[in-house]
Amino acid sequence: MFTHTNPLSVYRAILTGAFGSTYNFSETLVAAIPLILISAGLLLAFKMKFWNIGAYGQYIMGAMFSSFFALHASQNTSSFILITVMCLAGLIGGALWAVISALLKLFWEVNEVISTLLLNYIALYILDYFMHGPWRDPSSHGFPLSKSFAANARLPILLQHTRIHLGLVFGIVATVVIYILIKKTKFGYENKVIGENPTAAKYAGINIFRNTLIAAGISGGLAGLAGMAQVSGIIHMIQMEINADCGYTAIIVSWLAALNPIASFFVAIILGGLEAGGYQIQMTMSVPFGIVGVIESAILFALLGGELFKTHKLVSGRKKSHHPIQ
Amino acid sequence: MGNVSESIVRLHNISKYFPGVLANDKVDFDLRKGEIHTLLGENGAGKSTLMNVLDGLYLPDAGEIYINGERVRLHNPNDAMRNGIGMIHQHFMLVEPLTVLENVILGIKSEPFYINKKKTASQIQEISDKYNFGINPSLKIWQLSVGEQQRVEIIKTLFKGARVLILDEPTAVLTPQEADAFFEILKKMVAEGKSIIFISHKLNEVMKISDRITVMRKGKVVGSVKREGTSTEELAEMMVGRKVLFSLDRKPLEKGAEILRLENVQAFNDKGIKALKGVSLSIKSGEILGLAGVSGNGQQILSDAIAGLKNISAGKILIKGKNIAGRSPRFIARMGLNYIPPDRLRTGLIPNLSSVDNAILRRYACDPVSRGFFIDYSRANSFTETLIREYDIMVPRRDAPVKLLSGGNMQKLLFAREAAEKPEVLIAVHPTRGLDIGATEFIRKELVKQRNNGVAVFLISEDLDEIFMLSDRIGVIFEGEILDIIDIKDADLEKIGLLMAGLRDTHRTPKEMTAATR
Repeated sequence: MFTHTNPLSVYRAILTGAFGSTYNFSETLVAAIPLILISAGLLLAFKMKFWNIGAYGQYIMGAMFSSFFALHASQNTSSFILITVMCLAGLIGGALWAVISALLKLFWEVNEVISTLLLNYIALYILDYFMHGPWRDPSSHGFPLSKSFAANARLPILLQHTRIHLGLVFGIVATVVIYILIKKTKFGYENKVIGENPTAAKYAGINIFRNTLIAAGISGGLAGLAGMAQVSGIIHMIQMEINADCGYTAIIVSWLAALNPIASFFVAIILGGLEAGGYQIQMTMSVPFGIVGVIESAILFALLGGELFKTHKLVSGRKKSHHPIQ
Repeated sequence: MGNVSESIVRLHNISKYFPGVLANDKVDFDLRKGEIHTLLGENGAGKSTLMNVLDGLYLPDAGEIYINGERVRLHNPNDAMRNGIGMIHQHFMLVEPLTVLENVILGIKSEPFYINKKKTASQIQEISDKYNFGINPSLKIWQLSVGEQQRVEIIKTLFKGARVLILDEPTAVLTPQEADAFFEILKKMVAEGKSIIFISHKLNEVMKISDRITVMRKGKVVGSVKREGTSTEELAEMMVGRKVLFSLDRKPLEKGAEILRLENVQAFNDKGIKALKGVSLSIKSGEILGLAGVSGNGQQILSDAIAGLKNISAGKILIKGKNIAGRSPRFIARMGLNYIPPDRLRTGLIPNLSSVDNAILRRYACDPVSRGFFIDYSRANSFTETLIREYDIMVPRRDAPVKLLSGGNMQKLLFAREAAEKPEVLIAVHPTRGLDIGATEFIRKELVKQRNNGVAVFLISEDLDEIFMLSDRIGVIFEGEILDIIDIKDADLEKIGLLMAGLRDTHRTPKEMTAATR
């Protein structure tokens, strides 16, 4: 409406853009891959009430750690070995970034919302330094872009004529692993107890220190792996713009999925569709892409507002007659 | 019942609904001038709801309120106060850093902008002298003992002109001697023409103080009786709706080997103040050591320290001769110590998780329930089923969060889980606090059963009846020290009460004791 376009036709255009054709749907999946990976990790941390909102920074660190190997490895390294090393580097880079916040919380009770958020900016500026310094491709005419990754540092494409890469498999594996971890294992149980009642966890002798580090590490690691998959599977280089914003979108994904790993997989695809469809409307209807952000935020607000009604009930009549019993 | 004309307060046909609960169902209640009328009932029987209606906090959904024969509508506590009704809540509503005087005039609308402190102080002093309160209006609240703070609450209501006082479980925070002194004050006030509604579930004190007793159960009035015409047994039966056994099946004591031993245990609380100043005790297999004491004298730190939840700064805690001080809670649990903490919803249970998840809290990492990295939830379910069956726990759905259970069933689940570990030492802190009579009876029986099976039981409770009923020996804790440990056959209420007030020398009279606690 702000853009003098019929909102319904915009919605329709987004839908067609996202799911209208095989290629469009493949682009939806491409956009969903980082969301799937990140939200799988985030919901594990959220379950134990470790409010990691630093997937943005962990994603950047994962992308940078893996890019280091992509840029410095010899052209002759076998692709399998290089990709494996890059995956591990991505996992470790992201995990380290999250573990910093976990340690700050465990040792000095620093609120992780603040520390993960601030570490996002630190990650961004480290990336900025490398892109304007050591990693800038001399032939990039001053743009902050690295050299293109060699073929052995690129994630294989799964389906011809699309951009769907091996990262989708990572996402499916991560979803299944996190599902089993949460629902079937002792770690998942301890995680849940710590999140719901840390005093009871201490009483039962649960190791809060170790569990917090592991949960933070896994959530950061998966965000880092998402960053790796993006630079290695889609962009094929490291640059300033590597779609790190999906670190924030993934927070919406895990909450929309009510912290259920299977649900979050599908929610990620839907929000991926919004993203992919958003590019479509920008091109075909000249509606700015920012609309996607507006829609995402509206969803989050509706969700948060809805939470209120899960625990509270609208009542009419005089306020003071509604004290709880005793 | 009674002659309506002499009723100062009459509640007629009061009903009050809460979502899903009928808290008051056509309740009649009347208070005559100059009497102490007790409202007796278990937790959740609707006593507080009824009194909140009279205090103007709740509007009744049906029914009428008459004061001096005149129908009134009370929309808020100020309305009630204007009609001469004042309620003293269980939790004091005092501002600690302010003086008595400031607390008394707080919230009085008629007070002019300029406060004449001298005049007000002398008015407060007058009330205090009239009823022997012994309160100095210029003292700060934090300088006063709990009993004195309670008297300030009464002064507050009297100052505002109350003729009817509603007291909600006023003795919960007092030692037996303080309670007796408090009852003297009540009698004096009644003699001066005030009328008192006394809310309680303690049968002994009800029999001591009341003129009439109205018993409520499940939102209804079961009956009103005169004190002279009734007995504790009859009241208990009215309260619960069936006969209550006050005796427990206790085998004669067969003390075994010493299981738990504390030597000079010291610990600091969260504020950095020394809360345990050298506690030593020993518990043998097959006995219950009861620890009495007014709340806040170090009980919680003591139990937390033994269970490994709190670090101690000096001393030794030995289980079967092995020092466990500084070891992890899980290590201590594996040594055979189980713990029923005082706050079941904060420490003992996870309110938002299911009964299965709560039942396996001690077991999830052990053999039958866990298999390596995984939890076998079908075995966890059957383990939970066994507990639910053996302890007769009412659980609506296995996957429903335990916060939806009643207090009694929560505590049964917690007890069942801890007892299933076959402990050698069982620490139970306030195991029956807030439970109805049925659940209380059950938990007490189970504690004795544990003792009879050779468990060393450490019972920490503020309920002296419970301590006397269950213990083989009684210790008294005061300001972080155990003043004495007395064999049950040598213990009497007065002796324990004096110790609770911090007096080792039991030759002094209660009056000197009251002076000494100030």
